[in-house]
Amino acid sequence: MIDFVIFSVTMIAIWSVLGISLHLQFGLTGLVNFGQVLPFAVGAYGAATATAHGLPDWTGIAIGAVMAPLIGILVILPAGRLTQDYWALVTLGAAEIFRLTMLNVPNIAGGVEGMSVYRFASNRVGMAFALALLIVAILFALRLGRSPFGRMLRVIREDEMLAATLGRDPVEFQRSVTVVSWCIAALAGTLYAHVVGYISPNSFTVVETFIVWMAVVLGGPATISGVVLGTVIVQLTSVSTRFIAEWSHLGFELVSNLRLGAFGLVLILVFLFRPGGLIPERSERVDAGSQ
Amino acid sequence: MLEVNDISVLYGGFRALRGVSLRALPASILGLVGPNGSGKSTLLSVISGVQQPATGRLQLDGQDIPMGRAERMARHGIRRAFQVPRLARRLTVLQNVQIGAPDQPGENIINLFLRPRSVRSRERVITAAAFEALSRVDLAHKASDQAGDLSGGQQKLLSLAILLMAHPRVLLLDEPAAGVNPVLIERQIQLLRELRDDGCIIVLVEHNMEMIANICDRVIVLDAGEVIAEGTPVSIRGDLRVMRSYLGDTALEEK
Repeated sequence: MIDFVIFSVTMIAIWSVLGISLHLQFGLTGLVNFGQVLPFAVGAYGAATATAHGLPDWTGIAIGAVMAPLIGILVILPAGRLTQDYWALVTLGAAEIFRLTMLNVPNIAGGVEGMSVYRFASNRVGMAFALALLIVAILFALRLGRSPFGRMLRVIREDEMLAATLGRDPVEFQRSVTVVSWCIAALAGTLYAHVVGYISPNSFTVVETFIVWMAVVLGGPATISGVVLGTVIVQLTSVSTRFIAEWSHLGFELVSNLRLGAFGLVLILVFLFRPGGLIPERSERVDAGSQ
Repeated sequence: MLEVNDISVLYGGFRALRGVSLRALPASILGLVGPNGSGKSTLLSVISGVQQPATGRLQLDGQDIPMGRAERMARHGIRRAFQVPRLARRLTVLQNVQIGAPDQPGENIINLFLRPRSVRSRERVITAAAFEALSRVDLAHKASDQAGDLSGGQQKLLSLAILLMAHPRVLLLDEPAAGVNPVLIERQIQLLRELRDDGCIIVLVEHNMEMIANICDRVIVLDAGEVIAEGTPVSIRGDLRVMRSYLGDTALEEK
């Protein structure tokens, strides 16, 4: 039981970090990124590569943290001046290209067999790392969100033309936030690989991207507390599928599919009745006297 | 001096502007009038870099500025307010004004973590300036409201306050008085005069002829994408043919 709790907490922390990376891109900047699993996968493959070549662990972190933003820039360069809809398609496509390449070119990273990764000595260590990364990500995102940089990201989210007529290049800001966001997602991916101990292309399908989206939209894309709350709900639902299956005698497969159906229903309800998520963005109060 | 020469804009086969030229002197207000669809807003879009013209050039104080990029025009001090105010509606009124300030070290991620002090001190200056700009348009008491919750007239004033933050060299205003109550129009006129006296070049698109007559030094009349008359407000007003043909009879009866 205690192992299960530790596993749940670790997963919630890792996916929250991924959610925070999406919060920066989508919640603050309004970039519809349907390929957020790509930097996550790059981070994980970085860890696997380091293990495979007998390199120290930090090289895995470094590989992911450097490669993910680089790939992010490659993706955003053609997508930069595109409208939001195309951004969604380009990022979705990029993530799939990466996954299919890993799947079909076994020389790079084991193909469908996947790769094993050095695992932490105990699951408690993994949990400690995950929580530490989560705290750092939260502090970082808060700092960013409350800064003039975050303010301009929100302006770009609301109206790119307004930002341009104020002398800012929206693409420049979108590029910066993508680099930061993908770096964070890569760190989460590296940690994920070290916790799970094994990665394969099937760990990074489109479904993973949409599970992050589900959590972010449900909890509130523009608030960090919302992202974490959404992740808690979605991850607890995911990890408890097995228990629900046992308890209801419905069979694992069925319950797992029902879960996805329920996610879809909840998404529609959130869009209809609570577009800001469970914890929507609140505008800052200012005190005119404190100037 | 703002000098715009031979601007043509094509929307598909439709010529929205045909070789329009204008000159505006520092510390002056130039009125742009003409019927709907005559190309006034398109001309503002060209000057503000939002619209890339097919032909033409733009000079500010003798310096050529390449057209077609809004952020470049803004960086040269050419600032614009839109007919339907563009605001960050889910941000507060204060935040909307703060973003009007150029030179914000806090908009660079590296500065945020390596030079937090200079970010904070610049932010304090910006906030103080923002409150001042808000009081100039009588909106200081709304500072913490969401911008989207303001009335239409207040939103126009807010977009003016945003522009004030940048100390623009050229100010392009698209119907600032539409939907604003008469008391606030007075306030706007006062504000525009102050800006003009500070040396700003103001180009004003407006259907409120009283406002045009009141504050414009020169007026250009556009019709079907061409300049058909130019002169002082009095001479334009006296040109009955212009008034009747292009502003309609009702506008005359109001006078």
